[in-house]
Amino acid sequence: MKLRRTRLYVPGNNPHLVENVGLYGADCLILDLEDSVPLEQKFDARILVKYALQNVDFGRSEKWVRINSPDTPFWKADLEEVLPYVDVVNVPKVESYEDVEKISGIMDEIEEKHGVEKRKIVPIIETLKGLTNAREIAKHPRVVAMAWGGEDLTAELGIPKKKALILDHVRAEIVIAAKSQGKMALDTVYSNIRDEEGLFEYARRARYMGFDGVGVLHPNQVEVVHRAFRPEEKDIEEAKKIVEAAEKAMKEGKGVIALNGRMIDKPVLERARKILAFAEVD
Amino acid sequence: MVKAGTLEKGDVMVTIEESGEREIIIKSKLERLYGEAIRKTVEEMTTDIVGKIYVEDMGALDWVIRARIEAAIRKFRGEEQ
Repeated sequence: MKLRRTRLYVPGNNPHLVENVGLYGADCLILDLEDSVPLEQKFDARILVKYALQNVDFGRSEKWVRINSPDTPFWKADLEEVLPYVDVVNVPKVESYEDVEKISGIMDEIEEKHGVEKRKIVPIIETLKGLTNAREIAKHPRVVAMAWGGEDLTAELGIPKKKALILDHVRAEIVIAAKSQGKMALDTVYSNIRDEEGLFEYARRARYMGFDGVGVLHPNQVEVVHRAFRPEEKDIEEAKKIVEAAEKAMKEGKGVIALNGRMIDKPVLERARKILAFAEVD
Repeated sequence: MVKAGTLEKGDVMVTIEESGEREIIIKSKLERLYGEAIRKTVEEMTTDIVGKIYVEDMGALDWVIRARIEAAIRKFRGEEQ
C-alpha cells in the first residue's frame, strides 16, 4: 500500500533546498511552482524543476509537482515542462470536475507525445465552490487523493483562519468526498515548524478524522507526523494475526477467514492491512 | 540581455548579451576546482549562441547550471515567459 503520510513542500526555485530532498524520508516530495515562486521566476523555476526531477535522488519519496492553478496563465507551461518526470501533479484551487478534466486532457496530450504512463492528480480544494463539488471531483479517475487549504476559504467567509470553526466541517467533507470514492484524504499543513508537540497532536487528530496524511513545511516535521500516524502496538499485533489468518485461509482454499473462532470479514481485513502499512510492516 | 538563475547559495546566474561575437566569461568561487567543468558545460550547451555569455556561479551543481543555461538560452531566443 502506498503511504502518503507526509508530503513535504520544497520551493521549486531554490536549488540549494531541492538538492537534498531525498534525505528527509517524506512519503511524498512536492516541488512547488505555485505560491513559493514569485511571478518573475516562474519560467526559470519550471525548467529547474524539470532538471531536478531527472537528476536529484528522491530516495523512496513519491515525486510531486504543485503546478499553478487552472485560473492562471502558467499551468499548461508547467505541465509541458515537468509532466514526463513526475508521479503526481498537485493542482491548487480546483473548483469542479471540469477543472480536473481540462488538466487531464492536456496531460493526455503530453503523455502521448512523450510515451509515458498516465500520471496521477491530487487536487487541492481551497474555495467554497470547490468544496461544494468535492464529491464530484473525487470521482475523476486520475485523482488518487484529495487535499485542501483554508486560506482562500476563510477569506471568502471573512473569518480569521485560526478561529474558523467551520474548518472541522471542511475537513470532514474532504474525508467523506475522498473516501467515498476509495481515494486518500490529505490534511493541510501545520505551519508552526517549531512546535513539535502541537504538530504531533495535529497529526493525531488528522488521523482520527480519517485523513491519510498531512502536509509538512520543514524536514523536521516528517518524523513527528510518521510517529503520529503509527498505529499502537496492540493494534499492530492484532492486524498481523488477521492478515496471517487470511493468508492461511487463502492457501487452504477456504472462502471464510476465522481467527480465534471469530469470522473476519473484508473491511476488517482491509483495516488490518492498512494498520500494517502505516506501521511499515511488510 | 537576458538573465536566468539567482546569486543565492547553490545557484548560478547566467546572463546572455547581444554581441557580434561569441564570448564566455565564468566567475566562480570554486573556479580552481570546477572552472573547467563549468566552462565545458557552458560550451557544450551554447554552441549556436553568438553573444556574450556570463556565468556567475555560487556553488551550483551541474544539473542546476544546465537548467539555468537552458532557461537563459530560451529567453534569449525569445520564448514567451
